[in-house]
Amino acid sequence: MDLKRVDDLVADEYRFFTGERAGWSIAAGPKDLELVAHALRVVLHTRTLGDFRDEYRALVACQHADGGWAPKSDDPESTVWVSAFCALMLIRGDRVLQEPSLATSVRHAIDYFLDTQKADGRWVDPRWADLDTTSHPVSFFDVVLALDERHRRADVERAWRCGLGFIVENQDPEGGWHDDDFHPSGVEITAHLIQDALVAELLLGEKVTRVRDTCRKGLARLREWQASDGSWDEENVDHTMDCVRSSMVVTRILGDDPATDAAIERGFAWIVRHKNEHGWGDFPGMETNLERTCDGIDALCKYRAYRDPDPKAVIRLWGYVP
Amino acid sequence: MSPDDGWTVVARLGDFDARGRQLVTVGAVEIALFRIGERVYAVNNRCPHRDGPLIRGFVEDGPAIRCPMHGWRYDLATGASERPARATVYPIRVDGDDVAIRVDPGEEVR
Repeated sequence: MDLKRVDDLVADEYRFFTGERAGWSIAAGPKDLELVAHALRVVLHTRTLGDFRDEYRALVACQHADGGWAPKSDDPESTVWVSAFCALMLIRGDRVLQEPSLATSVRHAIDYFLDTQKADGRWVDPRWADLDTTSHPVSFFDVVLALDERHRRADVERAWRCGLGFIVENQDPEGGWHDDDFHPSGVEITAHLIQDALVAELLLGEKVTRVRDTCRKGLARLREWQASDGSWDEENVDHTMDCVRSSMVVTRILGDDPATDAAIERGFAWIVRHKNEHGWGDFPGMETNLERTCDGIDALCKYRAYRDPDPKAVIRLWGYVP
Repeated sequence: MSPDDGWTVVARLGDFDARGRQLVTVGAVEIALFRIGERVYAVNNRCPHRDGPLIRGFVEDGPAIRCPMHGWRYDLATGASERPARATVYPIRVDGDDVAIRVDPGEEVR
């Protein structure tokens, strides 16, 4: 796709996104923290987070005593999935904002994940499949290790290996991951696991066995699942964005792969084709919602970086390289 | 059946699509209708988890509907779920070709 068009889309959608600030800004009052984390990823990847310091401070302010966060910022009970997303945004945001309160919050979050991991390596959250849930603290620990955060380093490495092991052990022979209680199709879980948890390990020394082969098989499975129109999961905008983003970072780390490049182009063209005037809905023709719009802007930014001649440009947008 | 007795005709049996689905709006509430065998079920279209459109979901034994976004599953007769939420379901009456539902006037608009 023409990169000038991508740049124009990023600019247009970013204007829309900031115009909707009251809807996602936790500085404006209690919010759905899954949406807040999606929004902070946009400001991180559009390199505008300096304009949103109050949002980061507000996110720190609603962290619980146990180091976690709740799905709703004013709810009292921490849950794993959203906590990992918040922690990931804080550790990456802190590298730019350099505020002591953010660094303290990150270390506190590390404690939370070390305290909540189960003996077999998984993390549990009633709102998400165990595999999906586990991918998020592992992803956070990927970035903790990549950015050389030293808090409880030995404990973090042990928990990270154990989490990776749980994911690797549960891959299907066909290359995907499924959870009958949540996602029988397996598309979204597979896209999440290879991009958020597994592939970073290849940049961190390949200390866990089988990860490279696991990622290669997972990526191939995603290609098999893609529809001829470029979408995934029956025109699911969210899952198509997940699959395109996942394919971009995994193929850049694994190496040249023309088949995946073609799948990315088809998927990305489908995403752009099904954009509303402003933002995206969950399926083509549906009304725009902010969370999907944040995912869409993120996909645009990552596609722009994926087309950069420097292969690290897109990897950097996952935080796996400094 | 008239709006006065709380029942509103929202659809006709002949209007369901080939998969036995129909999306209707009552006031500002989107309601997904599923015709399964001889019965019709009505459920608020927005998944309580992340507002996913249940009309695009997967019908399973029970009968139940699984949200297409993140897989939360709801019993179509009761709205019950193993997840920390409950879908809003509506009483249904079928009279000839007419499908009527009763919506609590106080229901939150989603």
